[in-house]
Amino acid sequence: MKYLRRRAIHGVLLLFGVSVLCFLFSDLAPGSFFDEMKLNPQISPSTVAALRSQYGLDQPLALRYFLWMKSVARGDWGYSFAYNAPVRSLLVVRARNTMILTTTATLLAWLIAIPLGIWVADCAGRLQDRLAMAGTSVLLAVPELVLVLALLYWIVRTHALPVGGMASPNADSLALWAKLRDLAAHLVVPVATLVLASLPILLRHVRASIIEVLRAPFIQAARGHGIGRARLLFRYALPAAANPMISLFGLSIAGLLSGSLLVEVIMGWPGLGPLLLEASISRDIHVVVGAVMASTLFMILGSFLADVMLLVVDPRVRLD
Amino acid sequence: MGSEHAARLALAPSLVRARGLSKRFAQRQSFSRKEFLVDALTEVDLDLPSQCLTTLVGESGCGKSTLASCLAMLERPDRGEIWLEDRDLTRLSPRDQRKLRPNIQMVFQDSAGALNPRFSAAEIIMEPLEIQRQGTRKDLRARACDWMAEVGLSPDWADRRPLEFSGGQRQRLAIARAIALKPKLLILDESLSGLDLSTQAQILNLLLDLQAEHCLTCLLISHDLTLVGQVADFVLVMQQGRIVESGPRAEIFRRPQHPHTQQLLASSRVAESAFRAAAGGRS
Amino acid sequence: MNNTRKIAAAGAFVLSLHLAILFAGFVAPQDPTAQNRDYPFAPPTRVHFVDTRGHVHVRPFVYPGVPRANTLYEYDESRERQYPLHFFVHGSRYKIAGWFEADTHLFGVEGPAQVFLAGTDNYGRDQFSRILYGGQISLAAGLLATAVSLMLGLAIGCLSGFFGSWIDDSAMRLAELFLVLPWLYLLLAVRSFLPLHLSSTQTFLLLVAVIGAIGWARPARLVRGVVLSAKSRKYVLASRGFGASDSHILRRHLLPHTYGILLTQAAILVPQYVLAEVTLSFFGLGLGEPAPSWGNLLANLQQYSVLVSYWWMFAPALALVLVTVGYLWMADVFHQQLQSDTI
Repeated sequence: MKYLRRRAIHGVLLLFGVSVLCFLFSDLAPGSFFDEMKLNPQISPSTVAALRSQYGLDQPLALRYFLWMKSVARGDWGYSFAYNAPVRSLLVVRARNTMILTTTATLLAWLIAIPLGIWVADCAGRLQDRLAMAGTSVLLAVPELVLVLALLYWIVRTHALPVGGMASPNADSLALWAKLRDLAAHLVVPVATLVLASLPILLRHVRASIIEVLRAPFIQAARGHGIGRARLLFRYALPAAANPMISLFGLSIAGLLSGSLLVEVIMGWPGLGPLLLEASISRDIHVVVGAVMASTLFMILGSFLADVMLLVVDPRVRLD
Repeated sequence: MGSEHAARLALAPSLVRARGLSKRFAQRQSFSRKEFLVDALTEVDLDLPSQCLTTLVGESGCGKSTLASCLAMLERPDRGEIWLEDRDLTRLSPRDQRKLRPNIQMVFQDSAGALNPRFSAAEIIMEPLEIQRQGTRKDLRARACDWMAEVGLSPDWADRRPLEFSGGQRQRLAIARAIALKPKLLILDESLSGLDLSTQAQILNLLLDLQAEHCLTCLLISHDLTLVGQVADFVLVMQQGRIVESGPRAEIFRRPQHPHTQQLLASSRVAESAFRAAAGGRS
Repeated sequence: MNNTRKIAAAGAFVLSLHLAILFAGFVAPQDPTAQNRDYPFAPPTRVHFVDTRGHVHVRPFVYPGVPRANTLYEYDESRERQYPLHFFVHGSRYKIAGWFEADTHLFGVEGPAQVFLAGTDNYGRDQFSRILYGGQISLAAGLLATAVSLMLGLAIGCLSGFFGSWIDDSAMRLAELFLVLPWLYLLLAVRSFLPLHLSSTQTFLLLVAVIGAIGWARPARLVRGVVLSAKSRKYVLASRGFGASDSHILRRHLLPHTYGILLTQAAILVPQYVLAEVTLSFFGLGLGEPAPSWGNLLANLQQYSVLVSYWWMFAPALALVLVTVGYLWMADVFHQQLQSDTI
């Protein structure tokens, strides 16, 4: 319990640090509304000064940070100039879309990586293993950008699946089941890209941990007792290899909001990625800060979740 | 024991004197208020007679290494004084410390860890000389080769890496490095542990030769009483950060006063050979 | 022994890629800004060894392309005359590394035939040449940014590991902060912070600085780890016993331990940073026209028509993959070397 408390405090401090960075960022970014005004010769400096004090911009930094934190806590995350909407509502919708994409992809990737990794670890050194290793090497060498473009090209040429976006134009008029089918059809390519991008690393780690565990004496003992292969792998080896895999899982959770930017932008998936990109280009500072804070929050949550899971799974950690 | 030797021992002035040495280590976990306090040394007094070989014995964890580090100016004691002839080592400024460092040198237990694996043998011996700015690289290399020969290593091996040497040869190298600065006090912290018996004997003989040749005062730290019985002039016994008994070897072995000393002697089961050595004596 | 050969092989591969890109002026048949208005979106020129009568030629040749009547961007080969490929021809002047001038090109062909090894874009610019020149920018960005990251990481990691206490604590907390921020998001955020429209050189230097400065944390942590473990070695203690100064210990005992880590990190970071530049340029936040960068070359594919019809516009992706493969191979080999060193 104390361990968890320590990690939680640690996470909060980290979040605090990030918030300071973000605040400084949003505060100091040039090209703000008032800087532009200052350049306008028709507006007198005293007007600008008055406006600044009206908006509370002439107060000391620490006080401004405190006020900013207060409004963030209240749920007011600023206003988007480009979309003419409060940042919060934008973020929530986009984040939800991103989560739909990344959760599916992450689940799928892990569901493939674990059994595949175990199987490959079991035949370590043999043909299947070597093929798998070669395959992952190839995939690792191909940057995500190229992967997305290649898959996009493929579906555009074959017209097999809808290209881009999250829903077809007529989606609203469809029944629930049809709507889900439509969503799934749009999900295929982005999810496939994400899975292909993350699978090599997951597979290698699972394989490495299982191989490591299979060398342990207690596995040899179990084998000596005549325990069947499948049971040996899944009931004995897998739990023992859990620690490094849990840390990796934590990393997967951490990247749920931020790992799919490229895919979203190229495939036109209306998630957090394209939002950040557009905000970045149009200097929509509040959106940028909001998106960065949100994704960082997830990264911190991800590692905290990994700590919790580690605690639950590994009794040794509890003794700390 | 020869009367001449005994007389010499009785009159030997102390090269190094320590009074009231105390050192406490505090270990703290970050963000926690718990502190683990370890009293490594408590009120340690000792005298190291000049040009004699003193051994310091005790069980693991009794503070031998901490004491050695304090004497070698690698750690600062919390309290107490260490006198090298007429200077108090604990009150020196860093610059003065640096000037006096050549006088006290240490040979560590693990020779593989104590020698930088990327340096060649010559570079290892040259390093202290370079740091103390005692000559050009060419001069120093020649001197390093001389030292190698002196400790029984072939100067042809000057460019080999330490890991190419055997354990015993590495310790010779470490000893060469330690005496390159011509120290007055040579501390050997468990330097013979981990070597096989014949190598131990060779290194010991080397040590005794060097001691005689260069008028060294030696402090040999060991947990091996057989060793002690063979070479020591004086024995210091340590237990849990304190010196519990000290004196000439013969007396310690024949009439151990402190229960811990008696325990050590008994458990080493070398009382017999020690008595023999004490009775026959080194002359 | 085996390892040295592996390192040599990987190194040779990467080096040859870099040389080809460094000598882009020589290897590329055309200037990257040269437009062939008659041949927009021309497919890669087919290089033949066998002519229409079935004779095999030792010297490869091409047929000139002729736009097909009443179509847009479709070409036929005019088989009237063969135009052999010549090597070491004279062509447009170029500079190597900005100062050495020459005009010899690796290969070329007599007009009116053109050899577009990777096709052309909508301005008729030879993609092969643009990829090579673009590689100069993308690779240089990756290499320089890596240098920035590693220097920052080395400095902070060394100071942190060596001096410990509050320096170490604060540096590592800061590193954690940087590591917890998603890097692509951070990159975009920082980029948005800075002026959008700058000259090419300024943009380039800006990209390098930003990409490099964001990535200091991981190298710093690794260097710190190495320094910490080396610091506790007995030979460092022995050095202190000889009266060694801090700088002596850092220089002679601690720094050499970092070289292996730095090399491996370099091999890992260069492709990542090249990708970062490519991504930024792809989104229009990096280098813009007319300066070629693999990013803005690939950005053409964002147009539906280009993506569907002109597959050769994918060629920069191949170059990117080759560079990534090369560096990952090197990283692998360095890592193996590091493992065997520490045993």
